[in-house]
Amino acid sequence: MRVDAVRGHLDGLLLAVLEPGPLHGYAIIAAVQQRSGGALDLRTGTIYPALNRLERLGLLSSTWESVGERRRRCYALTEAGRGSLAGERTAWDEFTTAIGSVLNPAAPPRPAT
Amino acid sequence: MNTAGGRADPVEEYAATLAGALYGPARDKARLVEEVRDGLAETVTAYADEGMPRDEAARQAVLEFGSPAEIAPSCQRELAVAQARHTARAVGLAAPFLIACWYLLWSANPGQDWLLPRAAQQLAVHLAGVAGAAALLAAAMTAATGTLARRIPTPHRLPLAVAWAGTTASVAMAVAALALTVAALLATNWPLIALAGSLAAVSHAVVAASARACRQCARSTA
Repeated sequence: MRVDAVRGHLDGLLLAVLEPGPLHGYAIIAAVQQRSGGALDLRTGTIYPALNRLERLGLLSSTWESVGERRRRCYALTEAGRGSLAGERTAWDEFTTAIGSVLNPAAPPRPAT
Repeated sequence: MNTAGGRADPVEEYAATLAGALYGPARDKARLVEEVRDGLAETVTAYADEGMPRDEAARQAVLEFGSPAEIAPSCQRELAVAQARHTARAVGLAAPFLIACWYLLWSANPGQDWLLPRAAQQLAVHLAGVAGAAALLAAAMTAATGTLARRIPTPHRLPLAVAWAGTTASVAMAVAALALTVAALLATNWPLIALAGSLAAVSHAVVAASARACRQCARSTA
């Protein structure tokens, strides 16, 4: 999948992989790739400024954790982040329903959740 | 950092190149670069653990991450907003503090016109107006880049707007410092006026430096 197609949904992807529990940057990248079956072709380095932005918006919180001699930043979803994720899911369902009903007019429209 | 063979470690080289391309508050920039470096190092280690030669693992990791030139713009955008918030906070704190000082100076001895010469009083009113407007703008911009940004997208040129609001406030503070210095020379009760002038000069130095950094960040983002 093209980078441009993914870019507009990066926030939702990051919030979704953090829903089960806190993760650090590399684990977030791995989770996105694993969940997508490797289909999402995004420049993984851009995830870090996106995580910083989501934290600034209050959708994520973060703490440093020590691993041996190294430190790494661990991110967790906040309550506002959970609300934003629910909104992203609703918007995505509405979007895919609308586009799907145009591309496949024969198929019955899928109700938005 | 060099490897045993004398060749530069590709992860450290990557981090150094990225750091060299970014402008922003030192702490935020160091944190972002450290996170990217750690993520890249973990990716290299993961490939090396799968049996890939280290050079090949580093090349593959960089390919996935994106080159420093590819990821620098998104990092710079975030750092520009971080710097804008720093500058807005500096203006938002310094300007009301100065206005409060000027007000106290003005009202310290009511009925004694000699405390501040008439011209300096009028100038102070105008400068307080400029500083007050800049402080209100700064507070609005701090809110616009915080939780409010969940609903309203942050304008691309906001860091530049903050930079020029900060620059305007710093010029007002410099003029205030100069006017108060002159007033101190003319007034009989000069120590209080000189103190207010010193506070204005210190505020100017803090806000001007922050506004200059913000202008540089905004230019790098454009």
